[in-house]
Order: sequence, then structure tokens, then C-alpha cells
Amino acid sequence: MMQSSNRKAKEASRIRAEVRREKLRLLIFRSKRVTRALLKNPMGLAGTIILIFFSVIAAFGPYLAPYEVDATRSGLFEPYLPSSSEHWMGTDVFGYDIFSMLLYGARTSILVGMFAAVIASVVGAAVGLYSGYAGGWKDEVLMRINDVMLSIPWLVLMILVAGLIGTISLTVIILIIGLTGWSATARLVRAQVLSLRERQYIERARAIGSGDLHIIKTHILPNSFPLVFANTILTVAISILSEATLSFLHMRPYGTVTWGTMLSYAYDNSAFQLGLHYWIVMPGLCIVFLVLGFTLLGFALDEILNPRLRKR
Amino acid sequence: MTSAGRRSLRRMLVKRSVNVAITIFGIMTLNFALIHFMPGDPILNMVPRDPKLDPAIKESLIDKFNLDAGLFERYVTYLWKTVTLDWGTSYMMSSRSVWDIISYDMRWTILLIGTSTFFTLIIGMAVGAMAAYRRGGAFDLTSTATGLFFYGMPIFWFAMLLQEAFSTQLFGMNWWPQLPGSSYYDIVEYGPVFKWELPIILSVLEHLILPSLTLAIASFAGVALVMRSSLVDVMNDDYILTAKAKGLTDYMILRRHALPNGLPPMVALIAMSVAFIIGGAYQIEIVFNYPGIGYRTITAIWELDFPILQFVVVVGGVAVVIANFIADLVLIYIDPRIKLV
Repeated sequence: MMQSSNRKAKEASRIRAEVRREKLRLLIFRSKRVTRALLKNPMGLAGTIILIFFSVIAAFGPYLAPYEVDATRSGLFEPYLPSSSEHWMGTDVFGYDIFSMLLYGARTSILVGMFAAVIASVVGAAVGLYSGYAGGWKDEVLMRINDVMLSIPWLVLMILVAGLIGTISLTVIILIIGLTGWSATARLVRAQVLSLRERQYIERARAIGSGDLHIIKTHILPNSFPLVFANTILTVAISILSEATLSFLHMRPYGTVTWGTMLSYAYDNSAFQLGLHYWIVMPGLCIVFLVLGFTLLGFALDEILNPRLRKR
Repeated sequence: MTSAGRRSLRRMLVKRSVNVAITIFGIMTLNFALIHFMPGDPILNMVPRDPKLDPAIKESLIDKFNLDAGLFERYVTYLWKTVTLDWGTSYMMSSRSVWDIISYDMRWTILLIGTSTFFTLIIGMAVGAMAAYRRGGAFDLTSTATGLFFYGMPIFWFAMLLQEAFSTQLFGMNWWPQLPGSSYYDIVEYGPVFKWELPIILSVLEHLILPSLTLAIASFAGVALVMRSSLVDVMNDDYILTAKAKGLTDYMILRRHALPNGLPPMVALIAMSVAFIIGGAYQIEIVFNYPGIGYRTITAIWELDFPILQFVVVVGGVAVVIANFIADLVLIYIDPRIKLV
């Protein structure tokens, strides 16, 4: 008796391991296929190249930078230096080396965008899933809240929340952007769930007695993941822009260098009039290309992962 | 339309209207909550920071703006006053009523948004149609890339660049046009009341060029992309092939068969971009000192001018809600396939 139950348990764990291995193999196979399709798509290829470039800068920027940048202390050099062999892009009003700041800013700017987008997507997906799956008055209430969030222009909403919090750090700015930006994702996921819910295989799963959680976990989540993933990449782009815009409106994180804060200080100190063109043009260009990279990748992924579009 | 159809149309209209009302109520509530839990004492901004200041002045201000009432009482008063358009006076500019200030600013913002949306639509639809028509060609690729490039631009940064570019003689080029890069003081010069006189109109138009151009260039990509993809959708359909077989010219196919069917996604997009356009207008108004709603909102936040803030945000939200509502109606009108649920 003892032995047989032992054998059964062993058998079960063997099967489970087998299933896990199979799932992993499927995942690797699928990601390989998506990667190949991505690199064949001109937009996807361009986006990937741009993002690899910026990731390298984000990872090694502080080591590549000719000078150290510590935003909590004042700059090391004489302010207003023109570009020279020592300072490729000159120094700013506070005596920071502009080129070094650009290299340092890559990491923070990308981190803000990615973390904010992940928060927005997770919250949005959760709300959308629940709303679409639960239906009824719960759906109605959540969607009215969603309408309100979507109707107040996002920028204004973020500014109001930022004003509510007062002092802003990098974490706070990530939370503000992430927690105010989930509505569009929620609506998207809800629509997807509504269409999935009526499919036959879900009805069958329910007929053989699968619970709600099980259906969500095994059928609905995997099927809406591609959509959410492509959407997240696009949200990264919007989040990076939002950080820059909030910084520009004086809601900037203290003690760190991001491209957004560089731009905002440059504007506040009228960099153009001072002749410090690099200070205002370069961070803007970096933001444009970073956002472009994420947008291209997002559009390409959408095209590849979204079966409705793939047929074309 | 059958009577059953008319009944379901009426039912849908009622449901949508109720939703609009609920959403507007939600906007007011959220707005109230956000503003009234904001740290900072507005009184400190209204009076000079002088320890010898007569406390009676502070008292009178607290009294005037009802600042010591309970939260719920203030909430109810706020809701009532919003609905009755009795918006009180600003903390900062006590001589002017909030309604006056906001309705004055609104005109300028509507002018800016209207002009730029017009140009956005024209540029976007033309570019999108061209790109869809020569799909995969050189124009398609370059226009999509350029559009996305502008789309990813921080709008305020682009505004700064244009402002700089048109306020100096770039590289010593004498013919380079000089455009006013800042609007506020010039518009104020002609007085707060707009008069239909030629020099004033010309001045207003001149000041409108840069801001509206910035907004149009920054947002045409969205229109172009949707136009392109909805046309590509349609172009693959069989009836286009039939039209070709009939011997219609390309232009006629585009005008008669493709464009009308590409229209519904366009209308939905315009409604959805109202929020985006308002957000963009805010940034542009700050850079160009353009005296609109956005400029007012941002300065109200900086100055903790709550009376202005609590109504100006509602105005923006209601504009978005109503735009979406109208878009829904237009969609029903132009696309009979939409189910009346």
C-alpha cells in the first residue's frame, strides 16, 4: 500500500517534470520564431538595433563617461565651457560635463520607462481581466472608473498626482507614471477577454468543471499575453516621454540625471540664449531615438503576435 | 429604420447619456479629491510672507474662500457650484471671476486645437492614403519612419527647437522668416477683449503659426498610420478588385470605394486623440506663452490656485467625454453595421 502510493507520487512528479520541459521547449521554439520574424521585419530590425545601442550605453555608460557625474553635488568644472577636446559637448550652467551626463542619463531614462510600463501593464491587465471575466455590475463599475481615468488628459492626471505627493524621487516618478497609465491597457485586455470568453474551448473547459482561476491561468492569460506584451513595449515609449514632460513642468526627480531633467534644466536656464546648444539638443535627440526604438519594436511585435494582423 | 431599430437606438442613446453623466461626475469627484489633499497652504501664496502681517487679513481670506468648512460640505458645495457654473473668484487674481478667466482662455485653446487638428487631418490623411496606395514602396517606408520620428518627439522639445529656429537668422540666412515665438504679451497688448479689427486678426494668426504647426507635425503620424492600415484593410477586399475589373481609375476607386470604408476607424481615432491633443496643447502653450487653458492649468498648479484648478481640469475632462460621445453618434450614423447594443 505504502509502496504503491509512493510509486504513484513518483510517476506524477515525472509527468509534471515532463510537462514542464515540454512547455519550456515550446516557449523557446515560439520565442525563436518571433525573433526570426522580428529581424525580418524592417521596423522590428531597426527598433532592435536602436535598442541594443541604447542598452549598451545604459549598461556601461558610467564606465564609458569621461567624467563622473554626481547629481547630488555641484559640478566639477567651470560652467559655460564651449565644446573642446576635454569636454566634447562643453559644460552646463552648473559645471557638469554634458557628454558624461548624457551617458549617465541613459540608464535612468530607460529604467523609468520600463518599470513604469510594467506597472501600468500589470495593473491594466489585472483590471481588464477581472472586469471582462467577472462581467455584470463589477465590470460596469470598473469601466466607469476607467472612463474617468481616460477622460482626464493623462498629463493633467500625472501633474495633479505629482502635486499631491510633493517631493519626487525616481521611484515616485515611476509610480506616478505607472499607476496613472493603466487605463488604455485595461480597456484593451477587457476587449480581448470578452472575445476569448465566448470561444468554444473555454466553454468546453467550463463544461468539464474547470474553475475560473484555472481557466484564466491556462487559457485566457496565455492567449492575451502577446497583445499585452506588444502593448507594454509601446507603453515604455510613452512612459519615457511622460517622464520628460513631467520634468519639463518642474515635477522632476531630485538627485538623479535623466534626459528629461537635463532638458528641463537646460530650458529653465535658457540654454539657447547662452549658446549651450548641445545641452538642450542632445538629450532631446536621445529621447526621440529611444522612443523611436521602442515604438518600432512595439509596432513590429504587434504585427507579428497579433494574429488578426498577421494574415495580411 | 424600423420601429424596433428606432427603439434600440433610443435605448442606446439613453444608456450612453447616463454613462456620460456618470463619467463627468467621476471626473469632478476625482479632481476634487486630488486637489484638496494637495499639500501646501494656498493662503501662504496669497499673502506676503511677513510675520508682522495682520492675522485679520488671513482670517478674511479664509472666510472668503470658505477654507475652514468640513470636507464633505466643501465637496457638496463644489459639485453644486460646478454644475451651476458659479465658479467663484481666483485666489491669485481676485478681481476676475474664474468663469471669466477660463472662458477667455478656452477661446484661445479652441483656436489652437482647431487649427492644428485641421492641419493634422489634412496632412495625416493625405500621407496615409498615399502610403496605403503605394504600399511597401519608398514613400510608404519614408513617410512611416518620419511620422514615427515626429510621433516620438517630446512635444515641448520640438516647440523649443521651432521657437529657436524662427527667432534667429539661422546661419546668417537673411531670408529666413521670423515668427513670433511668444504670444502672451503681444495678445495682452491688444487688450483682453478681442475686437474684429484687421491688425489684431493678423497678429493673432501670426502668433498661431508656430504653435499649431508644432502640434500638427507632432501628431499627424497617428492619423497617417490609422488611415494607412484601414485603407490597406479595405484594399484587399474583393469589391475593390471588382471595381478595378470594371475599369475604374485608381483615384475613383480610392474616392468611391476605399475612403468611405476607411472612415469609421478615423472618427474613432479623432475622438481618442482629443485627450492626446489637449496634453500636447498644454506643453505647447507653456513653451510659447500662449494664453490658453493649458498655460492656465500649469500656472494654477504652480501657484496653488485651487479655484481655477478645480474647474479648468473639469473643463478638459468634459471636453474629452463629449468628443467621445459625439464620435459614437457619428460612427452610428456613418457605419450602419454597428450593433445597437
